[in-house]
Amino acid sequence: MIRIVIENKEKPESIVVEGHAGYGVSGTDIVCASVSSILITTINAMLRVDENSIRYVQKEAYVKLEIITHSTMIDLLMENMISLLEELEQDYKKYVKINKEVYL
Amino acid sequence: MTNFMRLEIQLFAHKKGQGSTKNGRDSIAKRLGAKAADGEYVSGGSILYRQRGTKIYPGHNVGIGSDDTVYAKIAGYVKFERVGRDRKQVSVYPEKQEA
Repeated sequence: MIRIVIENKEKPESIVVEGHAGYGVSGTDIVCASVSSILITTINAMLRVDENSIRYVQKEAYVKLEIITHSTMIDLLMENMISLLEELEQDYKKYVKINKEVYL
Repeated sequence: MTNFMRLEIQLFAHKKGQGSTKNGRDSIAKRLGAKAADGEYVSGGSILYRQRGTKIYPGHNVGIGSDDTVYAKIAGYVKFERVGRDRKQVSVYPEKQEA
């Protein structure tokens, strides 16, 4: 199962995605492909908007994205990614789990 | 130089060889096969051959159990014999048989 933790204050601040979807072996795992594509597309888009506005770490089956400088575009991209991941979670509950943590 | 992520779309997939396997089960070995050698003296009731199906048929003074196990009905000397072109049987004779 892919576990996703989103840290919020007023807005989403960071997202950690880790684990193996387990939907299929490498090359056939469509859930993993969807999560990877959504995540990588968003991170690369944010880097194109402003490469200093985010920081990310990537390891085997682990990605952490942190927003350093908020802006309308960056927040929009983050919000869009989260809504896509939530939609995916609805269809593949056994393979994707999203937790939201709010820090006031 | 911006450090873009490579589009690795199996980032969160089990790598080949890592995934769970559906194999890994086996039944307990049943130790089938011959339990007495040709020419050996055995007591009555001794098991001569354990098998699945009748690879070896019961011959003289030999019985076959419900699980196709072949056993001696009398005490005597074991003799594996060929019957016809491709059938084998095992018999037990009170006296030792010449080869």
